[in-house]
Amino acid sequence: MKQEEFEIQVMEYLKGTLAEDKKKVFEDFLEKDTSAKKQVEELTAIWDAFGKSQIPEPSAQMDERFFELLDTEMTRTTKKTSSWRKEVMALLKVVFRPQLAYGIIILGLGLLAGYLIKWGDSETNVPIETVEISDNQELREKLVLTLLEQSSANQRLQGVSEASKIVRVDEQVINALLKTLNNDPNVNVRLAAIESLSNYVDNALVRQGIIQSIPNQESPIIQVTLANLMLALEEKGSIASFKKLLEKEELDSTVKKKIENTIASII
Amino acid sequence: MHQLTDNALMLKVKSGDLDKMGLLYERHKRRLFGFFYNISGDSNLSEDLVQNVFIRMLKYKHTYSGEGSFLAWMFRTARNVKYDHHKKTKALFQADVSTLDYRMVDDDNVVVQLEKKDNLDLLQKALLRLSEEQREVLVFSKLKEMKFSEVGEILGCSEGAAKVKAHRALKALKAIVQKMEIR
Repeated sequence: MKQEEFEIQVMEYLKGTLAEDKKKVFEDFLEKDTSAKKQVEELTAIWDAFGKSQIPEPSAQMDERFFELLDTEMTRTTKKTSSWRKEVMALLKVVFRPQLAYGIIILGLGLLAGYLIKWGDSETNVPIETVEISDNQELREKLVLTLLEQSSANQRLQGVSEASKIVRVDEQVINALLKTLNNDPNVNVRLAAIESLSNYVDNALVRQGIIQSIPNQESPIIQVTLANLMLALEEKGSIASFKKLLEKEELDSTVKKKIENTIASII
Repeated sequence: MHQLTDNALMLKVKSGDLDKMGLLYERHKRRLFGFFYNISGDSNLSEDLVQNVFIRMLKYKHTYSGEGSFLAWMFRTARNVKYDHHKKTKALFQADVSTLDYRMVDDDNVVVQLEKKDNLDLLQKALLRLSEEQREVLVFSKLKEMKFSEVGEILGCSEGAAKVKAHRALKALKAIVQKMEIR
């Protein structure tokens, strides 16, 4: 046995993670090699003793200091939120002063009148605008596909957000979004993908893709978000996928309850 | 009773439910304290550093993605806190050599030695004679709930390399114990 392989197996043996068959082979090897056996016995003694070494209990002051700190942090965050709200309210008060409101209404009416007058002779421009929109859409789709392939989570998030701006998505973009939902390593990107896909739930491909992704999801937040979406859509086709998800042993019990309720509500 | 996973709790903290950090603290304070104590041998300092880990986790909660193991993320934070401490004090955690009784006893068998009374304390002292990296890898490897893949994740190496490092650190610890006087 090579030295490095031996070292790896010793650690797995000590940690108790060596598979039964490998453990048997390793123990047979030790029986034949007395020097290795002595070495492992000595390391086992150190390993076991290390686990028993006395570590003092942290003091009660540590707890006090921590909870004091947490309390301060929570108060600070609440204050920050409420002061932010106050600022918004103050801004709204300024915006909705009667004089300003009248001004805005008059400006709006002026713009509307101008638009109606212009509209009368703008029919010839319509095809050109359509071409521009269609060009923009194509460009945006390309941008989405490129951004979704990037290694930075921020760029992928931007890609998902660009996808939400597309009015009529094609199959390629849908597939890219579904691929993101199923495989993206970042939970925020996956969440954004659900949000974006939820704009196109009338599309059968989107619905089916989302339903099929349900059993593959491991993040509790994603599982709950999908449950909420399916509940909102009253999608009976998702029941089988949720049941498959319920079979997973590692499923968080709050999520499990949520899914059971979702299934009951959809039925 | 139902318990939310560490990952779920940290995601709640990230979304603004800071209260949940209290639960994470209760779950992991001893583990973190043990980590710092094993590498510094100083209770008061370990308590301060535990505190700093939670401050840092609160400060950088937005960087938590929910992917991978929470334990690995927490201990990576703990290592960063340790580096900050070193930067500030410009010193590594080292054993006070004067507190160690040290003499050559080559022939004594380490298994017999460790069975003797009071030698666990000596093992703790021996641990402090290892390099900091060796101490860390042993502490992480010994944690029941920590897999070697997670140890590798924390140390920035492969699972296999983490096992080899742990083995070599354990061997080095054995050599130190063998050389120290066992009462």
